[in-house]
Order: sequence, then C-alpha cells, then structure tokens
Amino acid sequence: MVTKRIDHKWGMVVDLDRCTGCQACVVACQAENNLPINTKDSFQQARAYEWIRIERYWEGEFPNVKARFIPIMCQHCENAPCEPVCPVYATYHNDEGMNVQVYNRCVGTRYCANNCPYQVRFFNWWEPTWPERMRNQLNPDVTIRSRGIMERCSFCVQRIRRGEITVERRGVEPLTGERIPDVDGPDGRYLNYQRMKDGNFLPACAQACPTNALKFGEQTDPTGPVYQYFQKANEQYDKVHHGEYIDESKTRVYRLLEEMGTKPNVIYLKKVDQFPVNESSH
Amino acid sequence: MKLTRRHFLAWAGLSAVGAVACEGFGIREGELSIQSPVSLPEDLVRGKDNWYTSLCRNCPSCEGILVRVMEGRAKKIQGNPFYPTNQGKSHARCEAGVQALYHPDRISGPMRRGGNRGSGHFVPISWDSAGGSEGGVDILSRQLRDRGNGAVIITKPMRGHLALLTDRFAQAAGLEHLKFEPTGSSGDNVYRAAVKSVYGQDVLPDLDLERANFVLSFGADFLSTWISPTRWNRGYGEFRQGHGRERGTLYHADSRFSMTAANADKWIPVRPGWEGYLALSIAQVIVEENLQAPGVDLDSLLGGPGGHDILNAFRPEVAAPLVGLTPAIANGDPAEFIRHLARDFAGKRPSIAIAGGSAGAHSNGLFNLEAAAVLNWLVGSVGAPGGVTLNPTGPWNGVPASNTASGLDDFQRLPQQIRSGQTRLILLHDADPVHGLPGPVQRDLRDAIENSADLFMVSFSPFIDDTSALADLLLPDRVYLEDWGDDIPDPAPGFQTAGFQQPVVNPLWDLDPRSFPDVLLSAAANLELPENELTRLLPWASYQAMLKEAADALYEENRGSISSRSGAATAADFWTTLLRRGVWHDESATGPNPQPKPGLLRDIAQSASQPAFAGYGGADTLYLAPFSHNTLQDGANAHLPWLQAAPDPVTSMTWQTWIELNDATARRFGIRQGDVVRIESSQGSIRAVAFLTPATPPEVAAIPFGGGRRHGSPWATDRPATESSNVAEILEPTRVAGAGSPAWAGTRVRISPTGESVTLSKLEGTTRSVEVGLSAAEEIIKTIAPGHY
Repeated sequence: MVTKRIDHKWGMVVDLDRCTGCQACVVACQAENNLPINTKDSFQQARAYEWIRIERYWEGEFPNVKARFIPIMCQHCENAPCEPVCPVYATYHNDEGMNVQVYNRCVGTRYCANNCPYQVRFFNWWEPTWPERMRNQLNPDVTIRSRGIMERCSFCVQRIRRGEITVERRGVEPLTGERIPDVDGPDGRYLNYQRMKDGNFLPACAQACPTNALKFGEQTDPTGPVYQYFQKANEQYDKVHHGEYIDESKTRVYRLLEEMGTKPNVIYLKKVDQFPVNESSH
Repeated sequence: MKLTRRHFLAWAGLSAVGAVACEGFGIREGELSIQSPVSLPEDLVRGKDNWYTSLCRNCPSCEGILVRVMEGRAKKIQGNPFYPTNQGKSHARCEAGVQALYHPDRISGPMRRGGNRGSGHFVPISWDSAGGSEGGVDILSRQLRDRGNGAVIITKPMRGHLALLTDRFAQAAGLEHLKFEPTGSSGDNVYRAAVKSVYGQDVLPDLDLERANFVLSFGADFLSTWISPTRWNRGYGEFRQGHGRERGTLYHADSRFSMTAANADKWIPVRPGWEGYLALSIAQVIVEENLQAPGVDLDSLLGGPGGHDILNAFRPEVAAPLVGLTPAIANGDPAEFIRHLARDFAGKRPSIAIAGGSAGAHSNGLFNLEAAAVLNWLVGSVGAPGGVTLNPTGPWNGVPASNTASGLDDFQRLPQQIRSGQTRLILLHDADPVHGLPGPVQRDLRDAIENSADLFMVSFSPFIDDTSALADLLLPDRVYLEDWGDDIPDPAPGFQTAGFQQPVVNPLWDLDPRSFPDVLLSAAANLELPENELTRLLPWASYQAMLKEAADALYEENRGSISSRSGAATAADFWTTLLRRGVWHDESATGPNPQPKPGLLRDIAQSASQPAFAGYGGADTLYLAPFSHNTLQDGANAHLPWLQAAPDPVTSMTWQTWIELNDATARRFGIRQGDVVRIESSQGSIRAVAFLTPATPPEVAAIPFGGGRRHGSPWATDRPATESSNVAEILEPTRVAGAGSPAWAGTRVRISPTGESVTLSKLEGTTRSVEVGLSAAEEIIKTIAPGHY
C-alpha cells in the first residue's frame, strides 16, 4: 500500500491588537533555533540575529503619542523575491507554503537578503560560539549555521516534522500516546491544530505568545485558528487582482507590503485604534 | 524518427501512464522528501525527547513550565498547559532557565573566602568534612552554633514549603528572617497592605481581564513586570480580541510611558504620585452622578452623609490641575475628561481598576493604591465575573501562601547591628540587597559588611552577585531545573492551586551544588537542639520527603484536579500524576465574598496625602522614574545573555542602561541620542546613555533597574559605568507611609551631558528594515476603527 503523504499548507496569523510587544516570542525563537547570542557589539554593529523581531513605531508627540508593536519574521512568500536570485538554489519553496533554506548549499552571496523587502534574512558574519557548558542547551534538531551562510525563520520546520512523524507516520496521539485509527478524513492521521498544540509542535514563538497574538496552523483546516483569515486574505487578493475594490476600513486582514505582490503566508490583523492620535481622542 | 505532433502526444500519454504505474512500486513520498538532496537538514529529526513539568524561578510569578529533555540535557522551556495561571504560555524570562542551568559562571561547588573580603578569591572545599578538613556543611553548623544569636537570614519573599522550611529553620537556629524585594514586582508590601485594607485579604486577588470590558490602570506595568505578567497578558489577549465579546478598553494613568501605556487605548500622563487623587476624583463623579453598580451601598461606603463632603474635595475641577491634567492631555477640558472617564468606567461594566508599581512607590503610595482599589467596590467588580476575584488561602494550613517583604527599616538597622556585633552571621539566599537597596542604605550595608572583621557571611546562591561576592562561605544551591520545589501562586487563579517542581536533569559532572533546603536540614541536625524540638520543627529527612508528605496530605483530602475520581487510586498514583501535570488545583475551593468595610471610601479620602520628594527640588530637576526592566527586573537576571539581549519593548535597548528623556527635555539640557548623561540626586550620581522618545513626559527621566552589577558573570558586569549603572544607587531612602517599603519613585534628579557619547546597543535600526523609511509606519502597522470589521 502506498502511504500518501499529507499535503499541508502552513500559515501564520499575527493579531496586532493582541500583541503587547513583550518579547516572549523573540527569546523563545532564540532558544529553539540555536541562534547565536546577540552581544552588545552585534547590536551596535546592526548585526543582531532575530528571526522574529518586534518593531516599534511611534505616532504623534507628547502627550498624544502612541507606540505600536509589530512582530516581523520571514513572511514565507508564495512569490518570494529571495528565491529566484539565489545562484545555487539554496533557498527554495516547498509545497507546504514554506520558504526553505538549505544551509549546505548556501555560498553566501547575500543576494537573497538584498532582495527581501522584509529584511528578515540574516548573514552569519562570524562562526557562532557558545561557552562550552552552554552548548548542552543547543537543540539537536536544528543545524548550527556556520560562518558565511544565510539563515532565517523556518516556521520551526523541525517541530512540524516531529509532529508529522508522530501523528501521520507513526499514527500516535501526541498527548496520550494512543494509536490513531487508520482512517481517512479529518479524524485520521492528520496533524491538525489540536494535535500540534497538544504535542508541542507549534512554532516556538506561537507556543510562547502569552496573548495568543501569533496563531499558526493549516491554512485549509477549518478547525484551526488561521483558516478563516486565510480565506479572507485570499478572497481579498483575488479581488484586487481582478480590479475589484476592497474597502480597507471594513477588513482587519492584510499582508505586509501587499502591493509588492509577494503573497506572504503570514497575514496580519490590523490594530484596532479606538482613539487615533490625529483625531479628538475622547 | 521525425517527431510529429501525433507522436508527441502519444509519448506524452505513455509517460503519464508510466508515472502513475511506477508510483505503486516507488519510494513513499515522505521518505523521498527526507532523502531529497535539496531538503533542509531540519527535515530529518532524530532522537526521542521527554517533556517534564516543573516551575520557573526566574521571576516571582513562578509559572508552570514544561522542559524538553534529550539525552539528559534540558533543551527548551515552555509554558505548562495544565498550569491554571499561565495556561501553556510563558514570558521571555522563563526561556532563559536553560541558560542559568548551563551557565559558565555557576559556582562549581562549596568554597571559602581566600583573600580579602570582596576580592573575589575563593578556595574550593568539600561539602562534608574529610581527612581533617572541615566541610561546608560543618562550617555552617559551627558558625550557627557560635554566632547564631542575633544572626540574620536574608532571602527573597518566599511561598509554599520552602517558606515553611526556612521559617522553621530560622526559628530553630534563632535567626531573624529578612525578606528582600527591591522593586515590588512580586506585589510589594504597599499593594499587599492596600489589598488587606480594601478587600480584607492576605493573599492577592486575581484579575478577570478576559471578561472585563473596561480596565483602568494606575502605574502598574502589568503587561511587562507587575506581579504575574504572563497571566495578565493571557487575559489581555482575550480582553482585546476574545471570541464572542466586544473589544475591551484600557486606560493607563502613569507618569512614565511604559509598555502597558503603549498598549493602552489612552495613556494619561499624570504627575508622579498623584494617581490617588485621580482615582478619588473618578469616585466623586460616580457618587455625584449615581453611576455606581446596582446593589452598591453608597451610604455604607461613605460612612454617612459626611462622606459626601469629604469626597467633594476631589471634584474634577479641583483634582485635574493637581493630577497634572492639562488641556492638551485631556482634549481641552480636564474636568470634563475625568467625568467622561468616570462615566465610561462605571457604564461599561464589568470594569477593573488596577494600581501598583510606581503609583505605590511614593511616600503616599498606600493612599494611591487604596483609592484605586476602592473603585472596584463602587462598580460592583469585587467578586464579580470580569472583575477582581478574591482568592482563597493556600491548600495547606500553616504553609505560607503569600510573600510579604521586609520593610526598609529592617535593612536600615542591619548595618548598625553588624557594626555593634549584635549580628555576626548572615545567611544569604537568592537576594542581592547590596545592589538593590536605595543608595545610602546599600552603601551603609556594603561598608558594614566589608569592614566588620567579626562578621561571617554564607551565600547559597549558585551565582556570584554584588552581595554574595562579599561572603566568607559559598554553598551553591541547585538551579531550579535540578531541584525539587513547590509554589502556591500569589495571586492564585481564583481557586486553590499548588504547583510542583521536580528536577528535570541532574547537575553536570563538573558541578557540585546542593539543594538549599537540604543543606538547611543538614545544618539543623547539627544544631544540638533537643531531639523533640528538632522533630517538632524540622521532622523531614529531605526537602523531597517534605514535599511528598505535602502531596500525601492533598491525596488524603481526595478533592480537586487529581483525586480518586480522576483515577488517582493510591498515594503513589497521586504523586505520579502530580509530577506529570506539575500542578494540583481545586476549582471548588474559591475565595471569600466579603462586603466592604463601612466608611471605607470616606476613610481613604480622609487619608489623602500628597507625594513628598526628598532631596533636590526646583525647576532644573526632573522626576526620576525608575522601573523594573522587562527581562532583567531588578538585576537578578543580569547574568543571562538572552535576557540582556532581549530588547526593551518601548526603546528596543539591550545590554546598556539608558535614560529615557523627552526630545524637548533633551534639547533643553543639550543632550542628544546616545550621549552619556550624568544623573545626580542628593544621594549621589550615576551615568547612563540617553534614549530620546516623543513619549516620555517632559518633566520625567526614566531609568531601568537591573544595570550596574559590580560582581559576577561578565555578562552582568563587563560594561563600563557609562553604559551600565545601578539606578538604586541614587534613590532617596524614603519609605511609603503605612507600608514601610522603599518609596523608589520619590526621587528628583538633575541631569547634565558629560560630553561623552556612545553607540546605542538597540534593535531599532539594526535591520535595514521597513522601519527605516522604506515605507511609512501606517503602511506597516495598519489600524482600523473599533466595530468596523
């Protein structure tokens, strides 16, 4: 019998109205993905590594002033500008909605970083080092990237792969260890949102996020937390490309720098602004 | 063969059939993808991981965690989904537990001072005496026997069985137990005193943010550091965008633009220390306009008609200028702004008023917090869904469920006790008073310790910090991931809860730490106490045995989340399930539902007082607003590089100590971004790098706690004094009336440029990113009006 590999289409939704800028996602990502320790010098030289970062924007002046936070990570674009410029095919697009970096192909031309409008690709200027004892913490599922190659958010593909192996290949419920009946359909051996959540297979940032501002899941899984937003985003995308009008004031769903046509697999939900700075605020 | 169109289609068809036929004999798709030469190495995962429950000890909120362990090494920390306060979520601070565990600067084993006090020279010894050399435990026991009279043990405020064991040990050895908590992030005495006087409770209340419609916060940076930020963040997410509810509204009154202020719908920049007047002004409007919740007995709260008159002193027209509400802040009409706010607060019930942090850190801090808390009675939020949930006491009788800190007076008299020879022994666990006390008090304590030849100090910390560097004996504790423990969350989630901590890994081969409570038990056995006294106070063979006994007591009660009904048929089953879940809770064991004291609002209004600022004054001074650092807090986490490198949410600063100044203020003093600024109070001066913002109030200078460590890991100490400084050094040693805690927000300072300038260590601008002008901010963070989606 042929074991049919289940096709996934992963996606992330960032709810800006929930995000408080707390940095839990940033440190969780560093812990999971063996990012080098960002020293004072690396910040001063503008070479800090943060696969996910929180940007803060000011609006207004005292006393009517606001700071707004936005988490930015690799947007895993469908039409990724980083991919066609790689001369060695180190960055490519898989069939699960993910932009993937093959470290041992990368020769460090940095073309991909130059072409990424989101500035989410990081070049290893130095060999990463950790004190000997601290190497015990490194995640064995994640490659340590050597000097001279490029890296970026992988949607924690290693956690997804563990989930797939546990649920879809071995057929085991991650939380209870019970065997999953070998049936087709949504109850079958399918890494849905609940199984990702129970089994610690969500990306580290989404797993940590205390306000649930980061949601991750199968774009086509109606039981998951991102389904409705991707439906809406794709509908909007199609409308725009057919020249139809979208009333921006009626929808929270948008993609970052949408006009560039990169069609990211990360979508954002607009911040709800009760008292805009420029209007009477009470 | 000539390729015709007909031939081409025939071949194409055959190829398709062949491809279908071959799939049946081929390699499975998944395996093909693993072996693909263009796959990411992460597609191949090896090894089996185990997940253990435990508790995080990187901040006082003590969240439930899951630790991923592979081949005996801890790899990753996440929130424990069973734990009712954080429910699977975690703070940035939790993650860094693995860095503490595998930190290169851990003290490897017991040591004795080898050089002058504070020289940093220590000589390794063994734990137990052997071959004529005295071991660490025996030295401790001997010192306790010789110097126990008048001795002091200094710890952080503790809860649960560690608190019980330490208290019993202190009782057995005749020690005074001082509990040090510098910044109030665990709910300092001021907040506790306000909770006691307004709600009549010893344990802190939970805040049901998930179901609240309107939150009014006074000074409490509850999304960043105040008490239990992960729990509050979890509620905040639902408060904003929970399913099936309207979006909640958050107002935040604070003299500093904090992370919570940044997330508020409206930030009210009040004059430092005047939060209580704003709260009572809102109360006055509620009373005057009869906006209180149905069933609220106003006459009782006001203690009769006279109460109305007392409250009239806080009419918005009177209070607004005192609070510092200008027309620019208040959209033209400050008095009307307060009235409008009061109507919203009372009209959009359920509402919650939160107060803490800097609002409580003034001389009148207790009044500020009480005035805010009493608003919850007016709008019927105490004990109501979407309001303030009062908590029950802990699940065990006699085991402390709350953690009250010692007052500033206790630490002010300690140096004198040391100099006079009254205190000749100090035991120190997980507390750094030489770094965290206000300026003159920390200098006095340091001086007394450094210059008292007859003092013996024992530190149990696994790391060197500014106080333990002065110790005579280092007996390193295990890091929490290697040790047993428990916790009674404070605040609990509205019902009785007990978290359990288990060792998830063993210490590495080159480390020889011992559990602090086990060392205390060993030392107690050598105290030459009467046998029945030792059995009465400390009957346990080990800390683990004590916790097992506590678990057995819960099992005997047969209630809550783990009981015979849930399959725990024996005590062994109960223990195993408890360790697998990391927590026991009983949702039916909820808190009381008290009524407010008669005359409560009147009494609070009568106690109104203005903030007092010692030291400098005058037009050229600024209010100093110190604040707890988002990840380093008071500096206890300064040795953890992930937490040093986690950008501050508002400024994006890392590694350095900065001073937040308004652009206009900086221009006034001739200061530019990155300039090194001298900050001087009547207690001394420090330096910090300038970070200019459009949001800092013009009369305020804000500096985070946590910098300026002198001893310990290079990650905490390797920056020059221009870039890493301790704001506690320049704080006035004033205290909060009625609570005794340090009034750490009650200092005024002068600032001046030093002429030096450094490159800021900040994330902002690190990436050549969208923020740097490729796109306008509104194209990146899009906004929408409420109710339009």
